[in-house]
Formats: sequence, C-alpha cells, structure tokens
Amino acid sequence: MFCRLCFFVNHNYSFYERPIAKVIKTTLEDKTEMIDIHDNKDYLFNQLIIAELKNGEEKGRLIHLTNEYSSSGAYDQEYHVGDELFVSIDTNKEENTDLTGTIKDVKRDKHVVIIAWIFIFTLLIVGKKQGLFSIISLAANAVLLSYALDVYLNTSNMSLVVICSVSTILFTVISLLLVNGFNEKTYAAIVATLLGTFISLLITYLVMWLTSENGLRYEEMQFLTHPYRMVFMAGLLIGSLGAVMDVAITMSSSIFGLYEKNNNIPVKALKTSGMEIGKDIMGTMTNILFFAYISGSIPMLILYFKNASALGFTLSMNLSLELARALAGGIGIVLTIPIGLYTSIFFINRKRAKL
Amino acid sequence: MNVLVWLAAILFILMILIGGKKGARSFFSLFLNFVVLLLTILFMTDPNADPIILTLIACAVISFINLFYINEMNSKTITAFISTIITIVILLFFIDMVTRNAMIQGFGEEEIEELSIFSLYIGVDFVKIGASVIIMSTIGAITDVAISITSPMREIFNHNPLISRKDLFTSGLSIGKDILGTNTNTLFFAFFGGYLGLLIWFKHLSYSVGEIVNSKVFSAEMLSIFCAGIGIALIIPIASWINAYFLVKTRENNKIFK
Repeated sequence: MFCRLCFFVNHNYSFYERPIAKVIKTTLEDKTEMIDIHDNKDYLFNQLIIAELKNGEEKGRLIHLTNEYSSSGAYDQEYHVGDELFVSIDTNKEENTDLTGTIKDVKRDKHVVIIAWIFIFTLLIVGKKQGLFSIISLAANAVLLSYALDVYLNTSNMSLVVICSVSTILFTVISLLLVNGFNEKTYAAIVATLLGTFISLLITYLVMWLTSENGLRYEEMQFLTHPYRMVFMAGLLIGSLGAVMDVAITMSSSIFGLYEKNNNIPVKALKTSGMEIGKDIMGTMTNILFFAYISGSIPMLILYFKNASALGFTLSMNLSLELARALAGGIGIVLTIPIGLYTSIFFINRKRAKL
Repeated sequence: MNVLVWLAAILFILMILIGGKKGARSFFSLFLNFVVLLLTILFMTDPNADPIILTLIACAVISFINLFYINEMNSKTITAFISTIITIVILLFFIDMVTRNAMIQGFGEEEIEELSIFSLYIGVDFVKIGASVIIMSTIGAITDVAISITSPMREIFNHNPLISRKDLFTSGLSIGKDILGTNTNTLFFAFFGGYLGLLIWFKHLSYSVGEIVNSKVFSAEMLSIFCAGIGIALIIPIASWINAYFLVKTRENNKIFK
C-alpha cells in the first residue's frame, strides 16, 4: 500500500493535463547584485535549465527553460537536478530543434505525500490504536469541512455561521468519539466542548457588536471572494474548536483517570486536582493558539519591515485578526476548564449513583 | 473601544478568576511571548543573522516562559523543558529539509498580487524563515503536550506513591495517547480556521485537486500540519520516559535519606 502510493505520486505524470518536466541539467548564467530603494541588498541569478518532459504529446523530449531567482527566494527559487516543474511549452515552428518553454510552478505532491506517510507512521508507532483513530478523525474532519464548504457555496441562502455551527457539533462528536471511544469520559468532554465553544463565540460576537469592530483590519484578509465578516467568524469558530476540545478531553480524561485509580476519591479532592491540572494547561493551551495563528504572519511581517513600514502600522495591518482569534480562542479555553471539571464530576457522580 | 483591548481584558479577568495567580502569570506569558516573537522577527530582518539559530534561541526562551514562568520551576516543568528542547532540535533538522525540498518558502501566487507594492528582493533567506514559521507554530503545542503529560503523571504519582517506573512510563504513554488525537486536532482546526478564506477561494474558483495539492500555500499548510503532528507524537515517549525516570529517581534518593 505504502510502496504503491509512493510509486503513484512519483509516476502520476499522466494524470496531469499540465505539462510536467523533470530537471536534468542546470547551468548558472550570471549573478547580479541589486539594491532596492530601501537599501536591501540581494543577488539575482539567471539559471538555464534543461528538462525532460514527462507527459503529454511531447513526452520524452527535452525542453529548455530559464529561471530567474534571488538569494532570498520570497517568490522564486533555485532549481536542482531532479526537481519536477509544471511548464508551458512554447509553440514551436521548426521540427528538429529542442522545445522551449516557461516554468509555471513546482510539482509538490510528492513531498506532501512523503511527509504525510512519515506523519501517519509516527502517529501509528506512538499512538497505536489511538494514533490510527486520530488519523481517521483528521481525514473525516477534512472531508466534512470540505463538504460543509460545498454546501455553503452551492446554497446561497444559508449562512456560513449556521453551517459552521452544525459542522462544529459534528466535528466535536466525530473527533472525540474516535479519539476516546464510547464512554463517559468522551460524553463529558463533548458536552464541555460544545458549551465552551458557543459561550466563547457569543462573548466574542458581543464584543464585536459593542465596539462596532473597531480595531479589526479586515483588509489584510487574503483570498476573499465572500463576505469577510462571516468568513472571519466562521474561521474563529473552527479555529478555537480544536483547542477547546483539547482542554475538555484533558480535563475529563485526567479526572476520570484519578477516579479509576481510586474509586472512593472524594469530590473535593477531584475538584482540587482538576483545578490544579486546569491551571497547568491554561497558559500553554492559550499559547498553542497564539503561536499557531501568529507564526503564519512571520514572512509577511519581515517583508513589511524590510520595506520600511512603521511598526504600529505593520502590526495592526498583519496581526489584528490573528490576535483577535487567539484571544477569543483563549477565552474559550479558560472557560472550558471549570465547565469540563464540573461536567466530568457530574458524570462521575451519575456513575457512582448507578453503582 | 478596540475589540482587541476588550477581548484581552475579558481573557485577563477570566484567567485570574479561574487560575488565580497562575492565571495572571499565564496572561502575562502571552504578552511576553508576543514580545519574544516580535524581537525574533526584528532580528530576522538582519540578513547576516541565521533564522534557524534565532528560532532555536526563541524556542528555548518561549518554552522557558511557558513552563517555568507560568508553572514555576519544579521537577515536572524541568522534565517538560528538557523533553521540549530535545524534540525541537530533532524537528528542526527535519523541517529545514522539508521546506528546502518542497520549496514552500515565501509567498504563493495567490498572495503575490497584493504584494506588488513591495520589493521582494530583501536579502533574507526565506527558506530558513519558512522552516522557522513551522517550528514556531508548533512550539506552543509541543510545550503543551510536555506539560500535559508530566503534570497528570505527577498527580498519579502523588496518589499512588509506590508505582513502579515502568507503570509510570506506561501511564504517561497512555495519557499521551489520549491527548495525541485532540492535540493534532487542535492544530488542524487552528490552521484550517485561519485558512478558511483560502479554502473557500479554492472551492469558489473551482481549483482541481492537482492544482490545490501542488499550490504553494496549500502544500505549505499541509506540511505544517504534518510536521506539527510529528512533533506532538515524538514528544510523548520522550516526555514520559524522562519524567518516569526522574520521578522514580527522586523517590529512591528520598528513601536513602530517610
């Protein structure tokens, strides 16, 4: 299975309509130093590439390409022998000369699949059955998200937030059941997650409404084809969901763990230990979201700074939405600690009453 | 008033209400981390500085803040810190290689139009910055897994002081397995929440699967998620083993003194 899929992505050229060429020889033409208006020094290189076409009518023929790249490589890169590129072939008049063309993009699927396999194997080795279930839940959630977006794009009268709320419930139930199985631990975590997520969303929405969204710079949002506020709120909901689930399951799984080690443990001891665990994870959990959101802006921030933008302007342009997301997610995380604690205790008490 | 100020104030109050002193420290740690991140970025704009080394230093400082400032220095945070650093160093080599091979550095063609007013030839190494982005987005998760393993292990140890090293290691692994799935989920949802706009864009413009998978922005996202997942999985046995080792060793030492 593994070998077959690796073989497939290495030899799937014929599945692409766009011509693909594999680099077999590169020569460096020249190197020029350039200094831009902000005194940034960089080097520009010109590279001549001979590549072999891998699909289409011209399969097997050689193609000559040129590549201009800089040493910083913000939007370009040096190509090496063995790299696979999407190219466009110039229409050629003469018969026996080599083809020429331009580079369109890099073929990255091979790398994505290899890393995906390493990811899957690491999870399986460390997590065994749980690892398998978390891979399945990742896949199921990805399919669900993709399906939810299809529904959103094809039915124009349904609000994105409604669709996302429905998917949120499904995401939570699917992920937690798959990760932890059918037991009280999981049910307690599901209840806590849903309560925590929706309360934090409500708080964020209220704040945005009260302040009439003062300070949020939507113009930084890229890839906009749809109402930006909706996309932002939906992203906020989905973005904080994972973290809230994490807190809920950590709370319920450690409280149930204590209960399982000692069935007669008093509720008070559970509360103390639970709050202790909650305090321990509160800071690091909010930091997870913080770094997951903010890190993505690093290249953009560097670009702004190097283009002599002012600090305040750069930060508010690039970080206002990310910070809002991180803070809203943080509120969800912190709220879920007591919610998770009390739902777990509720479920434990119910279990005790049954005995 | 500004949305961010309001949200920050609410978060601050909640953290103090629920976490007390430790809550306040958690909040300030967010602020400190922001400063560390910003300083790192400012240092990175110097073309002579190596972003990878800067990232390593920043990661050490950040995990120092996350573990020691929020939780105080004790056996569980020290073991968490050691495990974090070991994992980060292993990951860093791996991620640098991935970024270099998959050429996911810098900006994608979907982003480039908006950047036309900027000069892109700014002399910093975007490949290394790309690797640093992935590590930085994972550092929070890695310290979290480390502390979420060592902290309940400590509680279990306190409730059952006579537990053997092997049992302790196994219970660490089983806690780890429980949080493995949700922790990968945390990052998965955070990334996709952040890139919801991009996904809608791909769908709306009817990109083919081949175009999506090979596009720089999407493959960069996927690779970040996978690398983050690998990091989270790696730290589980590392943290469990180190923690079990230290807890049992301390108990043995105490016995000798008694």
